[in-house]
Amino acid sequence: MSADTLPKLLLEKVRYYKKEVALREKQLGVWRPITWNEYYDHVETFGLGCRDLGLKPQEKVSILGDNCPEWLYADLATQSLRAVAVGVYPTNTTEQVKYILEHSGSKYVVVKDQEQLDKVLEVNAELPLLERIIVIDMKGVRKYTYPLIISYEEVEEVGRRIRQKDPDLFTGIIAETEASDIAIIVYTSGTTGPPKGAMLSHRNITAVQHGFLQVLPITREDSLVSALPLCHVAERMFSLFLPMKVGCTINFAESVATMQADMIEISPSIFLTVPRMLEKMHSTITIKIQNANPIKRCAYNLCMPIGGKVADIRLSGGKVGLLYHTLFMIAYFLVFRPLRNRIGLLQVRECVSGAAPLSKDIMRFFRSLGIRIKEAYGCTESTGVISMPEGEGLKLGSVGKPVPGIEFRLEDDGEILIKGGLVFEGYHNDPEGSNRVLKDGWLYTGDVGKLDEDGDLFIVDRKKEIIINAAGKNIAPSEIENRLKFSTFINEAIVIGEGRKYLTALIQVDYENVANWAQKEDIPFTNYKSLVGNSKVRRLIDREITEANKNLARVETIKKFALLDKELDQDDGEVTATMKVKRQIIEKKYGDIIEPMY
Amino acid sequence: MKRSARMASPDFFEIRDLHMRFAGVQALQGVSISVAKNELLAVIGPNGAGKTTIFNIINGVYHPYKGKILLEGKDITCLKPYKIARAGIARVFQNIELFKNMTVIDNLLLGRHQFLKSSFLSGSFFLGKCLREEMDNRRKVEEVIEFLEIEEVRKQLVKSLPFGLQKRVELGRALCMDPSILLLDEPVAGMNLEEKEDIARFILDIKEEMETTIIMIEHDMEVVMDIADRICVIDFGVKIVEGSPEVVQNHPKVIEAYLGLED
Repeated sequence: MSADTLPKLLLEKVRYYKKEVALREKQLGVWRPITWNEYYDHVETFGLGCRDLGLKPQEKVSILGDNCPEWLYADLATQSLRAVAVGVYPTNTTEQVKYILEHSGSKYVVVKDQEQLDKVLEVNAELPLLERIIVIDMKGVRKYTYPLIISYEEVEEVGRRIRQKDPDLFTGIIAETEASDIAIIVYTSGTTGPPKGAMLSHRNITAVQHGFLQVLPITREDSLVSALPLCHVAERMFSLFLPMKVGCTINFAESVATMQADMIEISPSIFLTVPRMLEKMHSTITIKIQNANPIKRCAYNLCMPIGGKVADIRLSGGKVGLLYHTLFMIAYFLVFRPLRNRIGLLQVRECVSGAAPLSKDIMRFFRSLGIRIKEAYGCTESTGVISMPEGEGLKLGSVGKPVPGIEFRLEDDGEILIKGGLVFEGYHNDPEGSNRVLKDGWLYTGDVGKLDEDGDLFIVDRKKEIIINAAGKNIAPSEIENRLKFSTFINEAIVIGEGRKYLTALIQVDYENVANWAQKEDIPFTNYKSLVGNSKVRRLIDREITEANKNLARVETIKKFALLDKELDQDDGEVTATMKVKRQIIEKKYGDIIEPMY
Repeated sequence: MKRSARMASPDFFEIRDLHMRFAGVQALQGVSISVAKNELLAVIGPNGAGKTTIFNIINGVYHPYKGKILLEGKDITCLKPYKIARAGIARVFQNIELFKNMTVIDNLLLGRHQFLKSSFLSGSFFLGKCLREEMDNRRKVEEVIEFLEIEEVRKQLVKSLPFGLQKRVELGRALCMDPSILLLDEPVAGMNLEEKEDIARFILDIKEEMETTIIMIEHDMEVVMDIADRICVIDFGVKIVEGSPEVVQNHPKVIEAYLGLED
């Protein structure tokens, strides 16, 4: 029988790889390897422990916390019992946590630490279905007296005792898992309404493993870093689905704060990232170079155009001549190699950006350094991926061809429709919502795209976000926003223009970079608000916008802009956990600064 | 959050009838305080009340002309400061007293100095026992780094850190001494709200996880009322009130000491 569920795949991997490294975790400053045997051991004992507590098939277990091996153990243990794992963003507010626990009807919740536990305890009285809170790190909570709390370690201990009596029990339990079981529920970030819980079955996961690996081969030797939240489908794919299939190694950083430093030590060969992270890396590099000594600055300024030229040749499908090849090699050893080492991307073989559109400028920048960044396209409802460029060939701005195993077509209005094994099983407790996006087996993604003559897909924008101006012209705001965000001083940009004569933008400046600039320019400020209130800062942003406008069609240029006097925040409901802007809420909330621009 | 039961054994640490005089100024006039094991006692009082003087006497920096300091019944009054440190009393100073040009790790390793036993010779060759000792100490330092969540800055020079983090490093150095009693002299002074919240949480965690007894001088009443098990108020070298936060908060003598007497 072939392994058609993740727990079965885990068993298979354990049989093959036994004492080889499956995971690595940095603890007390030292990287600690976790073998496949140990991996299984944890999943088994935690699973048996949960079973003893009373977890039954189809019941829900939420997992709330930063990425760590225990996250994956709990995830796989839950799935082994044919129960459903639900990931919750650790950055979620108490209210948002409550919504997901309530909506999913979670029976248990696994929390990482005191911070997350306190959120659950605050709303625990309103969650009648919640029976247990399992705490991974008991620091600071040992003296809590709530009867619901049990430590992760205790659950494993119970499991160990059961295993002692019946060593083969768990393999028998895993054998009962079926491809049609719902494995996980992934809550979408919800830019327009409350989050929706997309149910993904093992069948979906198998389909996505199959499709993805044909386009981007990953092997046992590859090393990945678990950097994005595990509750997001993309990180789940890279940290769980793919390793279960190919046996690659997953590394966990010491903490979110040490990620950048740990990246250098890990130096992953495959890297999943999001545009925001790449934008941050780009602006850090730019600022650091500006502050570097003149020799370094000069070398950088000489080498970047060479990298850019080579990137352009490669992106347009041309062959790099001997001259540029030689120059690139010199530039590589002089500047690009050390630079890549500093950002932890020295050994990266494939770098995949997803979750939001990536600006062409950022793509070109990293390609100049010789990093093969690819932009993938997918959504939670498609188990993470729909299309991705294959091999070396890549067109700037394209997300490649649909992955194998997908039926694909464009609706008349350009909406992307897909069909296939990786289309999700529907939204949890929301048949109406499911019917809206699933018609005759086709998934209506809500994204507008276009195909070129080679069949490569270009994403225009979210269908709902396309701006139709007063003249009736359709404008995709995300591309313009990305142009603006390429500036190291602009952190977030929201383009406004629905039904209006021209486009304007709300700008959130990059506090760190603008603050640095202001210090150099001797501009006094006390906080974010006073910084953006300064007229010189306004002029700086004005220059940046003028620069971005140069590359835009006339109708797409930003005529006026306003600076937000606070940073957009998840707690204020302005952005989602994945930092996606909630456009409608912002347009409403900041109406008083938008209107004067028209 | 629930607070643990107060007062286990009342005489774990005792200050008995302390008198101290500086050139005619009577700094302390018969102050007696007893602290139970794993208790968090806050010492408060207006400036110049004699709070830091008490700490300096505990540490052996000053010698009182009358009175005793007892740790588990043993008299430690007037011992040399390093002996008092070895007895398990660590202190975090009001002003940061770190080596600014050393890394966080090196500063924390200094907290382990009193545990170094290997000889000059084995140290020169970094062999056997010395190597083990180094590894043990480094492990302890890493545990403290994890506990205080300062992994991000472990290799940075202390001078490059913001004030709040420097305070945390200093707290870490004291924790590296495996203290049974921790003296905190104004741990949240000069901090912003977020830093204060962090430190308050760490102090509670230290008390619970490491079962350390803590004596804390602090002016920030919010923090004191929030985390202290018991409060002792000193004014002009005399203990005026002692009791739970609720009792102290409303005590007329405390209000008088802080706000002055109405004419």
